[in-house]
Amino acid sequence: MSEKFTSAQHSGRGYHDIGGEDFGPIDPKTTEVKPWEKLSIAIGNSMGGQGRKVINTDMGRRAREEMGEKMYNSLDYFERTTESMKITMVEKGLFTKQELENRMNKIKSCFSELKSQ
Amino acid sequence: MADEEEKHGHNHDHKGIDADAHALEHIHDHDRQFQADIEDNEPEHYELMTYAIKELLVEKGHLSVDEIRRAQEKLDSWQPSRGAKIVARAWFDPDYKQRLLKDGNEAMSDFGVDAGGAKLTVLENTEDVHNVVVCTLCSCYPRSVLGLPPDWYRSKSYRARVVIEPREVLKEFGTDIDDEVTVRVHDSLADLRYLVIPKRPKGTEGWSEDKLASIVTRDSMVGVVNPSVS
Amino acid sequence: MLFGVEVAMKQRFQKGDMVSVLNTHPPGHRRTPYYCRGKLGEIERVCGEYKNPEELAYGFSGEPFKWLYRVRFNQAELWDHYSGSKGDTIDIDIYEHWLEAAT
Repeated sequence: MSEKFTSAQHSGRGYHDIGGEDFGPIDPKTTEVKPWEKLSIAIGNSMGGQGRKVINTDMGRRAREEMGEKMYNSLDYFERTTESMKITMVEKGLFTKQELENRMNKIKSCFSELKSQ
Repeated sequence: MADEEEKHGHNHDHKGIDADAHALEHIHDHDRQFQADIEDNEPEHYELMTYAIKELLVEKGHLSVDEIRRAQEKLDSWQPSRGAKIVARAWFDPDYKQRLLKDGNEAMSDFGVDAGGAKLTVLENTEDVHNVVVCTLCSCYPRSVLGLPPDWYRSKSYRARVVIEPREVLKEFGTDIDDEVTVRVHDSLADLRYLVIPKRPKGTEGWSEDKLASIVTRDSMVGVVNPSVS
Repeated sequence: MLFGVEVAMKQRFQKGDMVSVLNTHPPGHRRTPYYCRGKLGEIERVCGEYKNPEELAYGFSGEPFKWLYRVRFNQAELWDHYSGSKGDTIDIDIYEHWLEAAT
């Protein structure tokens, strides 16, 4: 987007650190939280400070601040939350990227099969 | 529900289960809310990722389905109606309001609120001061009393603008603040979580606590609107 | 009691103290927003001791604990062209190691 912002891996102003910028009018429309979004939050909570304490809020924030400006800005709130949860869990060795990808493909093919039925 | 979840967990213990059957089991068991949508909507990337993370964590013993279920129930109990009851009590009972202002966690425990490690901090709107809350860095929010933050609170526009032009932002929410009133913005980004006690509107004299709670909206407890008697 | 006294002695700032925020922009996970760095504010209240998020973010214990303050800034101190009323403020939660006594 610009050279104004950096990731948390570099010195400067983080792309998440936007207080005082102008991003136009606020859209007051609200949407229902989707079940998968709630599930994602619930998983994060039960692995985090309110549960097993394997991950914490600041690890997730740091992952968001390091995922890159382009990705950060292209994802919505719950997508970012899920992406950052993935990053911290892979970092913690809870599962590998490959395992996750395989499992996602498996679940995806099942949805497709259901659809074709 | 609990039985179904236990069954789900049990199935994961059987290795060699057919992949498709396995995933079908997943879809049927846990995320049945999606049944109606399946024909039209393939799940998107992050939805799939969430299901996959859940399955992997459960299979590897990092988390049980029961823990996830309890976390979901807890999340369901976090609603703005809870905050509204707290505000109504504060309007109704001056001693309770003082307790809230002194120690939010202590006073809100009367309503079963458990904020984890967060320090619940209560801000009172008065004739002279209007408080409004934001988190410019992410979207910190007093979830245990207001639930998950609404879209606008999470938006970059709100996060970026309310600190530099709060009065204009409040106007966009239909809230005009007199020049003589001090606007205090609270950038909530560390261990404190803020709940605003809005100004009690005129015309609510003699109302019961329940009736008072009915006019306390989520947005009024973030400080972007004032409750009104319609 | 003794413990309480010791804790109180360790705390660097008190309500009403004028402080300035470090004007530095190092890499890493930081909770001090850009717009207040280098700015002058007043301690509105002492919030207690909390784990250091800058350490927690990388999987460390977060100890030693850091004192957390609510620092009140005049809007006019933060922005060149603030259009609201003179008395308008922003309160920001800031950890002690980001603050210096203002001279």
